[in-house]
This record gives sequence, structure tokens and C-alpha cells, in this order.
Amino acid sequence: MSTLSEKLQAPAEHTAKPVRPSQPVLSVREVRISDQAAGREIVHGVSFDLTPGRTVGIVGESGSGKTLTCRAALGILPAHFEVTGGSIELDGHDITGFSTAEWTSLRGSTISAVFQDPASYLNPSIRVGAQVAEVIRVKKKVRRREARRQTIELLRAVHLRDPELVYGQYTYELSGGMLQRVLIAAAIAAGPRVLIADEATTALDVTVQAEILDLLADLREQTGLALVVVSHDLAVVAQLCDEVLVLRQGEVVEQGPTHEVLHHPRHAYTRLLIAEHEQYGLDRFLAPEEDA
Amino acid sequence: MIRRVLALPSGRIAVVVLAVIAVLAVFGPLLAPQDPLATSDNTLAAASGAHWLGTDYLGRDVLSRLLDGSRVSVLGSLEVALTALVVGVVPGILSVYLGRAFEWITLRLADTLVALPFLLFAVAVVALLGNGITQAMLVTGVLVSPLFYRVSRAATLAVARSQYVEAAIVSGASLGRVVRRHVWVKVLPPIAVALAQTVGVGFVIVSSLTFLGIGVQPPAPTWGGLLASDLGYLSHRPWAPLTPALLIVVTVWACNLLADAIRDVSGEAGRALLNNRRARANRLDKADPAPAGGAS
Amino acid sequence: MSTDPNPGRTAPVLAVEGLEVHYGPRRRRRRALHDVSLSIAPGETVGVIGETGSGKSTLARTVLGLVRASAGSIVIDGEEVGAYGPRQWRALRRRGVVQYVFQDPLRSLDPDLTVEDSLAEPLLVQGVPRTEAAARVRAFLTRVHLTEDLLDRLPGELSGGQRQRVAVARALVTEPRLVILDEPVSALDSANRVQVLQILKELRTDGVALVFISHDLGSVAGVADRIAVLYQGEAVEVGAAADVINTPRHPYTRLLVRSAPTLHSAPADRAEREALRALLHA
Repeated sequence: MSTLSEKLQAPAEHTAKPVRPSQPVLSVREVRISDQAAGREIVHGVSFDLTPGRTVGIVGESGSGKTLTCRAALGILPAHFEVTGGSIELDGHDITGFSTAEWTSLRGSTISAVFQDPASYLNPSIRVGAQVAEVIRVKKKVRRREARRQTIELLRAVHLRDPELVYGQYTYELSGGMLQRVLIAAAIAAGPRVLIADEATTALDVTVQAEILDLLADLREQTGLALVVVSHDLAVVAQLCDEVLVLRQGEVVEQGPTHEVLHHPRHAYTRLLIAEHEQYGLDRFLAPEEDA
Repeated sequence: MIRRVLALPSGRIAVVVLAVIAVLAVFGPLLAPQDPLATSDNTLAAASGAHWLGTDYLGRDVLSRLLDGSRVSVLGSLEVALTALVVGVVPGILSVYLGRAFEWITLRLADTLVALPFLLFAVAVVALLGNGITQAMLVTGVLVSPLFYRVSRAATLAVARSQYVEAAIVSGASLGRVVRRHVWVKVLPPIAVALAQTVGVGFVIVSSLTFLGIGVQPPAPTWGGLLASDLGYLSHRPWAPLTPALLIVVTVWACNLLADAIRDVSGEAGRALLNNRRARANRLDKADPAPAGGAS
Repeated sequence: MSTDPNPGRTAPVLAVEGLEVHYGPRRRRRRALHDVSLSIAPGETVGVIGETGSGKSTLARTVLGLVRASAGSIVIDGEEVGAYGPRQWRALRRRGVVQYVFQDPLRSLDPDLTVEDSLAEPLLVQGVPRTEAAARVRAFLTRVHLTEDLLDRLPGELSGGQRQRVAVARALVTEPRLVILDEPVSALDSANRVQVLQILKELRTDGVALVFISHDLGSVAGVADRIAVLYQGEAVEVGAAADVINTPRHPYTRLLVRSAPTLHSAPADRAEREALRALLHA
């Protein structure tokens, strides 16, 4: 399998792509997550299938369990949280009972993630380029010079202007949007098949948010990356996703193709999320598309 | 705050011990069974029915001397702590508000005081003002005050830049009002911690100064003085220094325990601690585990 | 610099004219605001939109007297405040003419004061007697959809939405003429966001003028009568909300409109965004 950065470096190749095998790369079945310390179930059964090149969106307010679901798929649930029901399959393998070594080999190369507040995920005293190059050196076992070359290619692929300059900069020299691009570069460095974006654009300015969302869409189209987009904002998810799950207090109150959910919402909470935009958002002014 | 301190076992122990010490300080001289200054021929006697803790090298009753000396010892350490409090806290809070010049001068003064060796300084001042417990303790208090200055300044700085202070200022609140209403409550817990700690330090200082013969005139007993004189006769009465030493250690320990308890219950950490306890209590109350919510 | 298209018929509550704000030491001065003019009539809601570093918070802090203007005039309720010293500012603030609501409701309320104490503070500062202040706080609660049982709680015991409503109530309890809200709904989730926006909409009937600062055009679109767009310290576009959103003139405003997440985004937006970004960076 060629890695993502290689695919990105050979733009001629993906004219025929993406190939879409029907085999899901991430399959979440009736997953339940409990806080063992409080003896309380937090997530009450979440299911979705993700095939390459597709995007699933999870919408919900803070505390709805959307982040826990993502963390379960990454094998990084916080202390005393456990998956107590259902199953998660990653690339055909059930993740329950994965050893630490197995997780280490899967993370980055099969599943990867970016989160809110990019600055806290980078070491402020190391040049950002070196931090991305480290991922490449560890995951692909290449020499320093080659890792540097690939890093600069990746920084270019995430639409950073002047990647050579950014390579040698520190976190404080870069804006939030640029840092998030660097993190996305690090996340896709080892060519993962699934990328989870958990509130990845929440702290950013609106125009920068749109740039990052456009970038994610590009990556998906060019490389067949499967995306899980998590946000509290239905509009962010609607922009990018094929399928939407609306989570409320750990329960999936609505699930379906994006178009269906937007135009024929069944649950009151989904209608509230839509009303927020139609009454108070830009949708109030911009003429909505006619129902299909 | 007091109720929250008492909710902690360590806080209760500290308060009980300090209450006993306080009783000793107030009633100690009255409780003394014999005249603490009366000498006798029965020198360096072992513990007996007449002298529960034996007698010292001049034949004075050790128990009476300990009880009589407790008032001076406790008062001395309180004097140190209170002087440090007044001299340190007020400029500490004001240094944030009274502009650059005041800030610079007080900071340099605090640095200077930290740099002075306090024993030498105390000896020098006592030589100047006369040998008395009050003089010695005032000097020590001033020398310890940078601790309070820095603690109160740091706490004030954190509050002064907060949004709710800015909101109060936008509402037209005066400096005095902001300090009374918002700053004071936040500065109090760290100061209480520093105070409890300083009372402990004060005991050690009073004791070590009297050990050196500074502050208290010779015949008057103090815990440190007793310890000093007992140490001279170790070959005759090897266990004698134990009682005054133990009293000093227990008092200092109780002060530090109280300081820890105050730190634990105040501020964000304190609220989290109390919430944890509440959560644990709730969990014990509920015999059955919470039912799992059903999903589609 | 565009001019105000429809100045209110009554005297404006706030009139800013040719405002300049500079930061930093003399040699490395940075321009935060350049030639900003804006006027707000009683009862009007004006949205001020801009990205991080656009100067929108500086504008708010300058109007509140927390930052000094380098040039230009600020008239609040008929008073020229540009040259005011600390004493005059305090006198103006104590009349309760201008109030401020911060973005983060967790940090803008004193964690050690009960809701009642926080709400009463601006009244007590004005010299309102304690009992009257308490009565006015109680009377005001329903306006922000809060109940009396919250009065003796601490901010830590409230939800994020309740906290922000308390913060809004604290700003409005003195019945100010002008309230400046700095990203008041950015930290809230959908349900609370709708509720706070609803409250702000209801408050306009009182004749209070609101300046609603946000990075997101979407969050002010539903409440603002007029919108001012700040870009690199300059007000590049000021106009009626519908006009700014439907027919944006400045490329940055167009990019903002095309970037704001909407439920029915068209694929054509994408190409337009790319073109606008190229134009702005050129």
C-alpha cells in the first residue's frame, strides 16, 4: 500500500481514484461506554460504518459522548472509562483486546486524529517541522534527510505557503489555522485510512475554519481517506459529511444521510439545531435550496 | 472556611492541638503547681510525685517552668507572625495597584530583607533596643515579612487581571471596592496558609533565640530556654530535653497541619476536594448501580 | 472607509469618529485600529465582525475606556470621552451608561460570589440601597429566563448557558444605554446559544443599544440591524445586515459570507472562496 504522502506527491495518479471498496475501514456497532468510577453508562449504543472516501459526522453538545466515541475508536479512552458493549472494527480487526504494541502500530498508519486547540498538541520548544518529521522517521523508518523532504511535501500538501519556512518555525510563530494544518500533516504522515477530526475547527476564525474544512475535503478526494468529523455545529458537519449522527446525552437521536437529516429531521433536538441556523444564522438571509 | 477546615480529619487534629496549646498559654502560669523561679537543693532530680518532670540544675520544678514559659513562647511566635502579616500583606496587595514606583521600591525592600541573615540582625537590633522578647520578635517579624509580601502580591496579581474585576471596573467600582469585594477573598486563603506556617516558624525562632539567650532575660522560663539548659546536663538527665522539644515539635507540626488543611479546602482545589467527598458519599448511599439507559 | 448609511433619527448613543489606536513602544508601534467610524442609535443592535487580530476587541476596550485612543473622537450619550481621565471615566461608569459582557462566562463571574451578589454589584456601585438593589435583581431575573432559586448559587454550580445569562443580566440590570458584548455566544452550545440570542432580541424593546462583537457572521446575523466588518484594523464595510450578507462589497466580507458554515452550502462557494483568498493575499 502506498502511503498518503506518496499519493499526494504523485498527483497524476489519482485521476482514476478513489477506488471505493465496499469493505468498511471503520465499523462501530452498538458501542456503549461507561464511566467505571461513577458506575454510569455515558454512551448508549452508537453504530456507523465508514468506507474509504466517505465522511461520517457526529453532532452534539459538550458532554453528549461524541468525543468518548472517537476516543474509543482510537483506543485512548480516559482513565476508568471502558467500552462495555458492542464492538469496534478497524480495517477488519476487532479492537477489543488489542495490546499496546498493536495499538502503536495501528495509530498513525491506520487511524489518526486531530483535535481542538492545536497548540497544546505540539511541543513549544521544538521546531514544528522536526515534530512532523519525527512521525515519518518512526512510522516509515526513513533517514533524517528523507524525512525532512517528505515533511516539506506534506506541509505543502496541507496548503501551507512556504513550507520550508514553516518547517523551521516554532508554535508561537504560527497562527491557530497554521498549527492545525501542521497537525493535520502529522496526522496523515503515515498514510492513515481513517482521520478523526474532533472539533478540529472550533477555536478557529470562520474563514480559517472554511479553509481547514476545504483541506479535509481535498484530502478525502485525493487519497480516499475516510473522515469522522465531530462538531457541536450542525452546519460544519453538513458541509462535509455524507452521513450524520446527532448525539444527545449519549444517545443517537437521529441518524441518516445528511440531506435527509437536514430536510426531514425527526427528532426535536435536530430541529432545534436546524432552527438555530435558520432563525439566527446566515441561512435566515441566504435563500435555501429547494427541497429535492 | 472554618467549617470546611473542620470537615477534614487533619484540620480537626490541628485545631484540637492548637486549642490545648492556647489553653496552656492562657492558664499555664496559673496551672503551675510550684513557683517556677524557686530554687532548691534538690537539683537534677528524676521524675517523682513532687516533681512530675523532675528538677533542673538549680532545683527548679521543670513542669512549673514549662507551664509558666508557654505564655511567653506562644505570644512570641504570634508576635512574629502578626508583625510579618501586617508588614507584608498590606504593601503586597497595594504593590499591584499603586503604580510602578511603589511596586519597584517594595520589591527591592523585600529582596533586601530576604538577603539579611536574621539571627545576626536580631542580635544587632537587640543590642541597640535592649534585650526584650518584644523587640526581638518585632525584628524577626519584619525579616519574615517578605513571605507575606510575595504571597499576597502573587494572589492579587492573579485576581487583578481577571475578567470579573474588569467587569466591576466597567461598572464604575472604585479601587477600594474591588479590593474588598473581589481581591480580599482570593488573597485570604494563601495568607492563612502562610500565617499558620509562620506561627510554626515563629516557635522555632523564639526557641532558638532564647536558646542563644536573646529576647528573654535568664530567670524567666521559655520552652527554648528549658531545652537549652537541659541540654547542658545530658549526662545527668538524658531524657530531660525530650519534653520541651516534644512540645515545640507538636506545636509546629499542628501549625503546619492547619496550614495544609486551609490550603486543601480553599480555592478551586478545595471545591474539587469537597465535590469528590460528596460524590463518594452519594455513591455509598446508592446501593444499586445506576440503571443503564436504553438506546434504539 | 464607508459612511454610515442610515444614522438614527435620534441622537446616537455611541458615535465613534476617525478612531486610531496604536500599541507598543514608540519605535515598534503597531496599528490596532485605523480611521474607524461608527454610530449607534438607541435600541439598535450593531454586529462588529472580524477575525483574531482585526481590532474588534480593541474597539470595545477603547469605547469602555480600558484602552486609550491615539486619535479620533468617542461620544457616549452626548459626552466626548476621548480625553477623559480615570476620575471622569469612573463618574461616567457609575451612572451605568455603558456595560460590558465578556466571552467566557466562567471567568467573567467571581467564583466566590453568589449569583445575587454578582448581579447586585453594579447597582450597589451606583449607590442604590441594598434592599432596593435586591428587589431590582429579582425583578430582572425573569427577563433573562432565570429563576430565583439560582440566586444563592455560586457560578461553579451553574451550567455554561446559565452563567452567560447571569453575565448578561449583570450588564443589563442597571438599565444602561449601551451594552458591548464580546463574543457572548461563542463558548455556548446550540440550545444555550439560541436562548441567549433570544434574550438579546427581546431586550431591544427597552431601547438599549447593543454592540455585538463576533468572529462569526452567522452568530450575529439573526439579531443585528446593522453589521460592521473589521479587517486589519479598518472598518471595510458598514451596512444593514441583510445588505452586508446578501450583497457584500468588500472581498473580505464576501469571503466571510462564503466561509460561514450554513446548512445549505453550495459547491460553487468553494471555488469562490479560493478566488477571494487569492485576491486578499495578493
